[in-house]
Order: sequence, then C-alpha cells, then structure tokens
Amino acid sequence: MLKSQRQKDVIFDSFIYIMLFILMLIMLYPFYYVFIASFNKGSDTLLGGIYLWPRNITLENYKIFLEDPKWYRAFLVTVARTISGTALGLLLTSLVAYALSHRDLLFSKTYFTVIIFAMYFSGGLIPYYVVLRSIGLLNSFAVYIVPSMLNTFFLLIAISFFREIPGELKESAHIDGAGELKIFFRIILPVSTPVLATMALFMGVGQWNSWLDSAYFVQSENLRTLTFRMMEVINKSNTPLDSIAVANSASASAGVTSFSLQVTAMVISIVPIICVYPFLQKYFVHGIMLGSVKG
Amino acid sequence: MDLEAQFTRTADHGGQQHQLWKRFKKQKVLHVFVGLGMIFLLIFSYTPMFGILMAFKDYSISNGIKGIFTSEWVGLKYFDEFIHDYQFATIVRNTLVLSLLKVIFAFPAPILLAILLNEVKNMAFKRFVQTISYLPHFISWVVVVGVSYAFLSADVGMVNRALVETGLIDKPLNILTSPNYFWGLAVGSAIWKEMGWWTIIFLAAITGINPSLYEAAEMDGAGRLARIRYITLPGIRGTIVVVLVLTIGSILGGGLVGSNFEQAYLYGNSINNPTSEIVQTYAFKVGLSDGRFSYAAAIDLIQSVISVILIFSSNFIAKRVSGSSLF
Repeated sequence: MLKSQRQKDVIFDSFIYIMLFILMLIMLYPFYYVFIASFNKGSDTLLGGIYLWPRNITLENYKIFLEDPKWYRAFLVTVARTISGTALGLLLTSLVAYALSHRDLLFSKTYFTVIIFAMYFSGGLIPYYVVLRSIGLLNSFAVYIVPSMLNTFFLLIAISFFREIPGELKESAHIDGAGELKIFFRIILPVSTPVLATMALFMGVGQWNSWLDSAYFVQSENLRTLTFRMMEVINKSNTPLDSIAVANSASASAGVTSFSLQVTAMVISIVPIICVYPFLQKYFVHGIMLGSVKG
Repeated sequence: MDLEAQFTRTADHGGQQHQLWKRFKKQKVLHVFVGLGMIFLLIFSYTPMFGILMAFKDYSISNGIKGIFTSEWVGLKYFDEFIHDYQFATIVRNTLVLSLLKVIFAFPAPILLAILLNEVKNMAFKRFVQTISYLPHFISWVVVVGVSYAFLSADVGMVNRALVETGLIDKPLNILTSPNYFWGLAVGSAIWKEMGWWTIIFLAAITGINPSLYEAAEMDGAGRLARIRYITLPGIRGTIVVVLVLTIGSILGGGLVGSNFEQAYLYGNSINNPTSEIVQTYAFKVGLSDGRFSYAAAIDLIQSVISVILIFSSNFIAKRVSGSSLF
C-alpha cells in the first residue's frame, strides 16, 4: 500500500516536472531563436534549418543596423524618450504626491475626487487626439513624454508611501526654515528610494515598449521609435515576398535581409529589459497586487 | 468610492474663515504643486471627456477644440449609422468572440500553472520556472508579434519550415495571413505573454493556505490529486472568484490578459480582416485614417459605456463576494 503510494508520487512528480520543462522551453526558446538568428547571416537564415546554433556567424546584422540611419535614429529616439519620459514622469508624479501626502491639506477631498474620477473615465482615443492636436503636441518629441508625466496610478502609490515617512523629519526642516521644494528634494526623495525605483522601472519599461503613440500621433520619420520600426517591418512582411527582399543594396553583399534586421532590432529591444529584469522582479510582486486593485 | 475615503480620512479641523485662510497661505506652495497636477488632468483627461460631445455633433477637425462646442448637434445620427454599417455585425461578433475565448482559455491557464508550481518541491527549480514565465509580460507586443512572425510566417517562419521539411504538412500554413487562425493566434499569444504574470497572484493565494490542512489530509490518506482538489482549489476559491469578476469587468479589452486592441492592430492585415477587425480598431481606422472623427467617437463611446457598466457592476459583485472593494 505504502509502496504503491510512493510509486504514484513518482509518476505524479515526473508528470509535473515534464510539463514545466516543456513550458519553460516554450517560454525561453523564442527568445533564444531570435537571439541566434540575429547573429546568423541574413540570407543564410532564410534557407531555414537553424534551430540551436547560428550556422554562419556574423556581426553584419548589428553593423548594418547601426549604420542604417532609420534604425539607428529610432534607437536614439527610444533611448531619449525613455530617459526623459521617466525622469519627468517621476518628478511631476512625486511632486504632486508629496503635496497630497499632507493630511491637513485644504481641499484635499476635492483634489482626490478629481484624480480618482480621471482614473475611472476617459474620453477615448479620438477626443484625446483632438486635444493633442490643438495644443500642438502632434508630431513632436514632446508627445512621447508630456502626456504621461502624471501617472495617477503611481500617484496614489507614492502618496501612501510618503505618508509613512515620519513627520518629525519634515518638522525639523521647517523649523530650520527650509521651503517645501527644499524639503521635497533634500529630505523626502532621499528616503523614498524604494517607491521611486519602482516607479522609475515601470515607467521606463512602459516608455521603452511604447509604440501606440508613435503610430497615432507622429508622422515625422525622424521621430519614429524602435518598436514602431519593428511594427513597420512586420506590416510589410505580411505582404508576401517582401521579407526576402534585402533591406538595401549596400547590405545585400553582407547578406543582410529585412528579416535579419528585424530580429536584430528585437534583440536590441529585449536586452535592456532583461538587464533591468532582476530589479523589476524585486518590486513587481508588490506591483501586481496594486495592479489588480487598479483593475 | 472607497479609494477616495481611504486617502481623505483626515482629522476634522474646525475653524473660522481667517484660520482657514492662514492655513491656506501656509500651504500655498503645496497647492501650487497640486495645481500643476490638476492642470495636467484638466488638459489630458477632462478636456477629452468633454470631447465625447463630438459623437453627437457634426464635428470637423479643422475647428480644433472649440469646434467640439460650436459644431451642430446631430443627435444619434452616428450611432444609427454604426448600427447600419455593413461591417457592424462582423466587428461586433469579432469583438465578442475574441473576448469570450480569452476568458475561457486565458483565465484558467495561470491557475493551472500556479497549481503545478505549488507541487514542485525543489525551490530553485520552482523559482527558475516562475522567473522565466513572467519575462514576456515586460516585452512589447510589437516584439511578441515579431517573434510570432519569425516562427509562424509562411515564408520565413521556423515552425512552418520545420513542418514542411519533416513532411508533416505539404505546404506552409498561413497562420498569420488567414482569417481561420486569427482567434487561435491571438488567444495563444496572449496566454504565452501573460500567463506567468497572473500566476503570481494565484501562487500568493496558495501560499496563504494553512499547511496543517495538507498534513491532516495526508494523514487521512488523501493522494496528491485529492489534496489539490479538496484543499488547494477550495483554498484559492476566493481569489479565483475575484479575479474572474475583474476579468469579466474588463472583458471587452480582452479580460485578464487584455490587449485586444494591440493584437487586432498588430496581427491584423487585409487578409485576416474578416476575423481580426474589432470595434476598437475599426474606430481607430475610421477616425484617424479616414478623418471621420464624430463617427469614430460614437463607435468608441458605445464600447466605453458598456465597459464602464461592466466594470462597476463587477466591482459591486466583487465587493459582495470578497467583503472589500477592489477599487
């Protein structure tokens, strides 16, 4: 009796381990394949048969990627928007949160009603577009960073965090004659690194991955982002045969195809996320709990 | 609105007018800070809300924001037009089918994974699998669609090529460019991307189950499957119900895994259009591509109103079920 129970357990465990192993392969292999394809000669990849290791190892894809003004420019725009968008978003969101974290703030009930109503309801894409157009944000770099400067979700999280900071810290600064701005920068921000790091990581990943704004609100070729360029290639590839066409004549000799440039762009897009992943992980269990509250 | 109450629970400061004024003057810098945020919300949240009026008017983009108020009222003309649009039935069906399929298939996936992970005794392996499983959550949909292309496209897709080479199929499957595959593709890729992320919440719920229950069941001779069925599942029933309710609240956007719009927009093309066109992508096209702003706003508004009703009623139900509001 006892033995058969143990046998059952072994079967059960093997089943679970096999299932999870297969699942892991399904999760990881796509990343791995894209990675090796980016190091393989583009024209050779199109012949197929590459599964575990690049057959014709080359750095040409990366070289052409960096030399191609379109891709290189998109990369720079994406880096710029990620850095400036995160910095400004962090600044405005935490500044407003700091003011609202004062429990004795007058009209705070009105302020919170305004904020929470804005979290529930939105005017939708079309009126939003009209507003952006009227204030001259369309087709400018600012459209990537300005509208997302105040994040209502992180605003509430930051308020909760700031409220936990002991009041004596602020009071002693007040007695020393420090102004609110000085207290915010010198006293509040330095003790708030956990919440600032969480906000920065999530805002940063959001900025880095964002493509909708580049597709909706921008026409200038100079302002396209990395994700938008990838989308463009994918859209074109759905027209049969285009994927086999080489990117341009200069890259033809190097065997670079639009497909190999695309996988290279994908690797370039994924690598920074994998680099910040350990830090994201540290914070996001907290994040998903709050995320589910947001609904 | 419990959330509001939670943040504004302050001591009641009685006082006369001049005392209030004194307090306000003392706080004026803080009010400037909040004011910045309020201006922001006014421009980017509240003005677009007023913009909804254009759904009931003959709005022309050349008149800018002012046109929202000055253009002529046409009542429900554009709503009527949408209902009689020759594509109406198709895009409503596509929206509903895609949303329902996601609830049916994408909702149970993280629960299953959480149960499987909970049965793993080797902590290092468990943590490793979990870490890998939520990596795709942080990757852009564009990249995920690019990965699908690298694997599934008819010309360069690795899977297609392997299947043809091994002789399992005669010619490549047009997974990305055929109306027959779009729903499966969308649901499958959404599960791939978001399953691990939502496993976190169910695994947390399982961790909260009292271990002595398992010990007692083992003493009584319950096998592993019996323990899953009679202890783990009932133990996380509350979480399952709450997440299900939330899923139904956001069903038109794709539920738990969301991203109906991203998928329909990115995977959609002229060939799979009969199954991939949904209300949101259609509104986007007639609005921003064809420049029919009032019509697009009307289409968007219909979906928004249904969504808001669903969100509030599901929140109400969740409140009843869990005893606490989710918002």
